[in-house]
Amino acid sequence: MGDKDPDRRRFLQVATCAVGGGVGIVVAAPVLRLVLDPAGRETVTSPTDPLDLGADTLLRIGEPPRRVEIIAPLVKDAWTASHNVVLGAAWLRRTGPNPGDVDARSAVCPHLGCAVGWDPDKGNYLCPCHDSRFSVTGDKLTGPSERGLDALPIKVVDGRLKLTWIRFQMGRSTSEPV
Amino acid sequence: MKDRVIAFVRERAAIGAPGTTPRVIEGGASFAYVFGTVLVFLLVFEAATGAALAAFYSPSATDAWGSVAYVQDQATWGWVIRGLHHHGGGAIVVVAGLHLVQTAMAGAYKRPRELVWWLGLLLLVLCLAWAVTGFVLPWDQAGFWANKVELGIAAGTPVIGEQIKALALGGNDYGNLTVTRFYTLHIIVLPAIVTLITIAHIVLARRHGNTAVRARAAAPRWPDQAFRNALAIALTCAILLAYVVTQHGAELAAPANPSQAYDARPLWYFRWLFELRVLAGSGEKLAAMIAPAIVGGFLVMLPFLDRRPGRGVLTRLPWLGMFAGMLALICGLTVMSFSRDGGDGELAKRQAAAAKVAARARLLARTNGIPVTGAIDVFSTAPMWRARTIYAQRCAGCHEDPKDRKGPLIAPGHGNRAWIKGLLEDPSADLYWGRTKLVKQSLEAQQREAASGGKPAQPDDGPKDLAMKPAPYKGAELDDLVELLYAQSGASDVDKSKATRGSALFESACTDCHSLGEGVAGASGPGLAGMGSRDYYTSFISNPKSPIHMTEDMGQMPRFDKELSLLDRDAIAEYLVWLRTATKAELDALGPL
Repeated sequence: MGDKDPDRRRFLQVATCAVGGGVGIVVAAPVLRLVLDPAGRETVTSPTDPLDLGADTLLRIGEPPRRVEIIAPLVKDAWTASHNVVLGAAWLRRTGPNPGDVDARSAVCPHLGCAVGWDPDKGNYLCPCHDSRFSVTGDKLTGPSERGLDALPIKVVDGRLKLTWIRFQMGRSTSEPV
Repeated sequence: MKDRVIAFVRERAAIGAPGTTPRVIEGGASFAYVFGTVLVFLLVFEAATGAALAAFYSPSATDAWGSVAYVQDQATWGWVIRGLHHHGGGAIVVVAGLHLVQTAMAGAYKRPRELVWWLGLLLLVLCLAWAVTGFVLPWDQAGFWANKVELGIAAGTPVIGEQIKALALGGNDYGNLTVTRFYTLHIIVLPAIVTLITIAHIVLARRHGNTAVRARAAAPRWPDQAFRNALAIALTCAILLAYVVTQHGAELAAPANPSQAYDARPLWYFRWLFELRVLAGSGEKLAAMIAPAIVGGFLVMLPFLDRRPGRGVLTRLPWLGMFAGMLALICGLTVMSFSRDGGDGELAKRQAAAAKVAARARLLARTNGIPVTGAIDVFSTAPMWRARTIYAQRCAGCHEDPKDRKGPLIAPGHGNRAWIKGLLEDPSADLYWGRTKLVKQSLEAQQREAASGGKPAQPDDGPKDLAMKPAPYKGAELDDLVELLYAQSGASDVDKSKATRGSALFESACTDCHSLGEGVAGASGPGLAGMGSRDYYTSFISNPKSPIHMTEDMGQMPRFDKELSLLDRDAIAEYLVWLRTATKAELDALGPL
């Protein structure tokens, strides 16, 4: 028996651990690689081109902000490709007499991502989750949000509203795209 | 009776026995004992790779194939893990078979180890069932059709067959609930049951200790036997990895399609049953039931059949001979099944065609993604798929080149300068109007006129000669006229000065019949405004006999504005515009429909 030969026994112990450990690594490495794979990818695409939101005559001076749904023409989500996917909403408002005087704010609350609504009684924005309030220009008024509503790039091209959809980091004092 | 049962179980479960020491291997460590440990390793291995796959898998009839194709073709190392998991199942069957043979050879099924033997047999059956539940999950043609056959066999079970099938399907037909149920069996129910029985199997085996294969001194399990186990595990792992790499993982056929036949083949470890069914002919269902029952029954009864206490191989020759005979039969049938397929040229052709469909589906899934309507619709994401499908069904009969073509040929280059030039030079050529009623009637009218010696035609003579005559131009002039007509398509490479010169030629030679006015019919022929543009094609396809196109007198092509939606007509128009600049190679590159 092994006890009679401590060197051999020691060798077998070390060799067994080495072989077993090697097998463990060989199996675990590809498994981990696969599981970690999505973390380094854009698995859900988001449109980078400006999206058409309709004619700029939708917006008139003095009217409360208008909510529009942001609909992506195509979203690839891992293996699927879906058309006309609702990504979220934005609040649009005319700020001046020129066609290009329009302002767009993401309806995603900068605090924790709830959907911000318009409170017609108070004339400002209200997030229903934690009662953050924002002025009509998007500035932070009260509540836990650390910054105002995020501005989205918007242009008027040939009388059409063209908005670029961006998601921002939440819970920070400055606007930074994800 | 009750006491006898209790005594039987107490002895077999080694309850209250004065305990052998499980830390020691009787007769010394040996490679004969590695199989059980390798099997435990493979079960853990399947659990690890399975967990990684489950992190990607989407159990629904619309999504399953897409998620598996994503793992196979897009996720880094996904094909390795999928291959290891798939072929790991085969490895379990092989090693379990070796374990069974070793146990039988050593006579380890004998009293008091019957329970260990039976639990082992149960585990083997459960592992086979486990593989069946996994094979259908990718929801590809291979898994789908194999499962149809398997459930068909299960439905042949006397009395409760239909209930088994309905329960497995999750209703009356294949669908979402079929996937979710097989998935639940595969990742929850069977793992739980196999784990529990494996624990029982090992605990009992340890209580009884091993059946010594040699008359030597006992050795400690750790590290003497453990070292041999580790080597065997490493060897198994290496073979599995090498096999997976050379096979590039596991096969993934095209998405399951109930309307498209497929040469269903079971997993290789069921091939012996498959061959038996082929050989049995009309008795196939009986064979599929009875053969496993005979093999299973023999193995279960072996401890009762071979009751003498001796474990020497020579004293048990009849029983071991039967065991070996069954094993040889199973192996022989397996080999026969593969060689039967190997010698079938027609099958090879069908399999090659199926492989092409699978490759196409996977390519489209990679590049375009899978529509939310389901994996089977991945084919519809090919460029101009809708237009080409309708074209193939509704247009190709008259416009492609088999001998019974009735209209002008439509091919790559349709409507380009060379095509227009050829039309102007000889409108009645075979490629153009040559096969239409218009030209055939014109020829008759000409023959009639020649026969009647130049008498003016009478109203009741029959169809008139209405076919277009070749344009009276050659060389640069013809090119100018071609350019004018080519410009109608809105192509971006028009030579304006040539087209302007062509206008004068058109005025002097063509306006007796034709017009280039927007929406205006010609005096006695088609209006040509916008000829070759998308709008023109849509309008033409909608109603070719419209006064602005071929008119009732000359038109032969039916109208499609009632049969095809505007969207579909526009899709075909877009396709025709694309064809103008396309080459044959580019058309072929769009791929099959």
